[in-house]
Amino acid sequence: MKKIYLPFLIILMTLTITCLSSAQLQEEEGLFQNISIKPGISYEYFSRTISWDEDEYTSKLKSYFFTFNTEFEIPNGLSLALIFGYSFTNYDELEFRELPISLELGVGKIGGYLLGSEIRKSFVSNEDLVIDGQAQFFVYLGSKEEWEIPGLSVEGTTEGKSSWMRFSVGPVFTYKGFAPIYPYLYLGFNKLWGKFKMDQTIQDLTGSEDKKISGESSFSTSLGFNFIVTEALSFKAEGNFMPYKDGVDLGFMIKAMYSF
Amino acid sequence: MKKEKIIFAFVIFPFLLFPANLKHFRFEKAKKPNPPISQQKTKPINKNQTLSSKLEHITPTQDPVKPKSSLSEQELESLITDRRVQKIREIHSVFSDRSRPDRGRKQRPDFSRPQIRSINEGRPFRLKGEQYVQDQVLVKFKPTLSDPMVEVTIAAYRSKKLKRIPRLNIYQLQIPEGTTVEEMLHVLSRNPDVEYVEPNYRAHITVTPNDILFSEQYALYNSGQEFGPAGSPQQGQSRADIKAREAWVETKGDEDIIIAIVDSGVDMDHPDINDKIQSNGRDFVNDDFDATDDLFHGTHVAGIAAAETNNEEGIAGVAWNCKILPVKVIDDTGWGDYANIIDGIRWAADNGADVINLSVGGDVFSLSLQEAVKYAYDNNIVVVCAAGNDGGSVLYPAAYEDYCLAVAATDYDDLRVSWSNYGPEVDVAAPGDQIISLVPTWYWGPDSLPYAYGDGTSMAAPHVSGLAALIKGLKPTLSVDDIMYIIRYSADDVNSTNYLGEDEFIGYGRINMEKALVPIIITTKKITILKKLLLDD
Repeated sequence: MKKIYLPFLIILMTLTITCLSSAQLQEEEGLFQNISIKPGISYEYFSRTISWDEDEYTSKLKSYFFTFNTEFEIPNGLSLALIFGYSFTNYDELEFRELPISLELGVGKIGGYLLGSEIRKSFVSNEDLVIDGQAQFFVYLGSKEEWEIPGLSVEGTTEGKSSWMRFSVGPVFTYKGFAPIYPYLYLGFNKLWGKFKMDQTIQDLTGSEDKKISGESSFSTSLGFNFIVTEALSFKAEGNFMPYKDGVDLGFMIKAMYSF
Repeated sequence: MKKEKIIFAFVIFPFLLFPANLKHFRFEKAKKPNPPISQQKTKPINKNQTLSSKLEHITPTQDPVKPKSSLSEQELESLITDRRVQKIREIHSVFSDRSRPDRGRKQRPDFSRPQIRSINEGRPFRLKGEQYVQDQVLVKFKPTLSDPMVEVTIAAYRSKKLKRIPRLNIYQLQIPEGTTVEEMLHVLSRNPDVEYVEPNYRAHITVTPNDILFSEQYALYNSGQEFGPAGSPQQGQSRADIKAREAWVETKGDEDIIIAIVDSGVDMDHPDINDKIQSNGRDFVNDDFDATDDLFHGTHVAGIAAAETNNEEGIAGVAWNCKILPVKVIDDTGWGDYANIIDGIRWAADNGADVINLSVGGDVFSLSLQEAVKYAYDNNIVVVCAAGNDGGSVLYPAAYEDYCLAVAATDYDDLRVSWSNYGPEVDVAAPGDQIISLVPTWYWGPDSLPYAYGDGTSMAAPHVSGLAALIKGLKPTLSVDDIMYIIRYSADDVNSTNYLGEDEFIGYGRINMEKALVPIIITTKKITILKKLLLDD
């Protein structure tokens, strides 16, 4: 797992350091006043169809998360956000058939920490339209949980630990004609993948299964708007549609931000 | 050494596992009518009886028919016809509209054999999808709430009434968008006018084979149906069975998995198993490579484990797709010596067996027999043994507890059968009372279907062998120990009222194929000791 996270964390740290260094330089040049810091809170929900066991089976992954965001807006249209939060993720109907006694999850939400980052850069800007490039990365680290295995002739438990990652990148088209409301369309390559490790212990019978999961959809369309209430306060709402071969996955996000 | 020689000199009697109450198999005297089944009692053999007296009880000593003897075909035909059991004839009469010409002793009956169709294109059904409808709940309001108030209440929750189920007054509601079923259940359950609320769960299919005698196989699926020989039907407790239908949704077995039946051989011409025979096997009694059954016991056992299934004929086997490897170590009188059994186990292990069924047993401990069972175990083969039927201690090889599963017998009410042997070596139980399965095609003669009911731990063991074969096919990487643990731990402790947990009568319980094979849904967090203490306070 660490091997998977590490490159992304390194990238994020590098970007952060680069941006902050850039800000530092600009500060030295007397430009620091141009950097704005926007802390905010957000709530997001998404439901993704995931496949596993070499795409033989599918189920849903549903996640709700509350996050604290800190966005640094740097001159030249670059902004970077660091995100930290807590998520409840529901993997119900995920099955573990490689364990000695096969199991299916029906445990509901599993809590875990969420880390993320967002980078945005403006490429085109005119009176009515702004085109940005945006990339997002989230890592969910589920807490270790232990459940009872019902119905056996002896006591048995199983311990699960999960994680998922989500990466999206694509252009954002923002229309400026309805100020102070700024509707936008985000077309993104959107990938979700993760793993769920389950360890089973039933007296002398033990087994372990490492299940890899991946989102069925790899493309998302998001429609939303930014509502600039005051110079300092803004709200954002967004609905996501992620089509896959048998249907559409949905999600939404709301966010409140305050500028310093 | 001398003592060992004496032990070896003793022959064992597999018929002990196929006991005195073998009402349907016992060879009757030609002039003595078979009593009605209700009058037939189990006759547990007294432990103090001599070996010869036991033998009298269980072996067909008065029956002169020995298919490999020098009797002519006509003489044999006549003898076989004479000893037909009336009850079985009555069973057969149910199917008497099938026109079947007279047959010779080993002539195949003229069953119509429709083309065998494969369900779901040969793949097992897999359960997929949601467990309940994601935007609906079922609610029952208290009867004190008037219909208009029910409507108002539903509207108050921004829900939509989809249906009211008449008489039961259960409402199927569509919950508002953006609300989860769990949230709705939580909110509605707090309403004092709601009697109960629950998700609109989804049911799934089970697999019922089309074999015409499947309804007689209470062991596989017991709905409380009547079964048994005509004239003395039995009716068991609903779901006192091994949950085979539910398990077949997950797997029907792998064609590469072989169950060796180390017994009296198998009738390889029987239409309900002939396509399932891996090879002609090995006959250690006659020292050749034709393990044809000239008794009936091995054929009956093999049918339970893996009769051809879903072929619109006869019975269903536990392991639909697995193969049978016949190994003959018991002669046509029902006797076999340890040397042959040891060689049979060794041969099965060396010739591709994944599971070895041993519905045979003797009273005497033998290091050589133990070594043979250990040899199979060391070769990652699951060895399943019948515990014995004299109500005494567990026989050998079942008693070699480190290397095999010892199987006791239960009945159609999930009760241990009184004649089932007991002791700390018993691992699990399976139905062994009034079990219908195959008998050789020559057994009843030309006018009868080659099926019969049998009792004994001999009949219980192949249910477990079938399950072991299904597990091995589904999870080939598991060790033999793992498979044995799965079978033990997934069993239903059906005598927990009197003997909670593992006991010496049925071990961990009556096997449950569904729990052993189908994913178990986990829902509850483990309660830690600290939480337990807090809850207790």
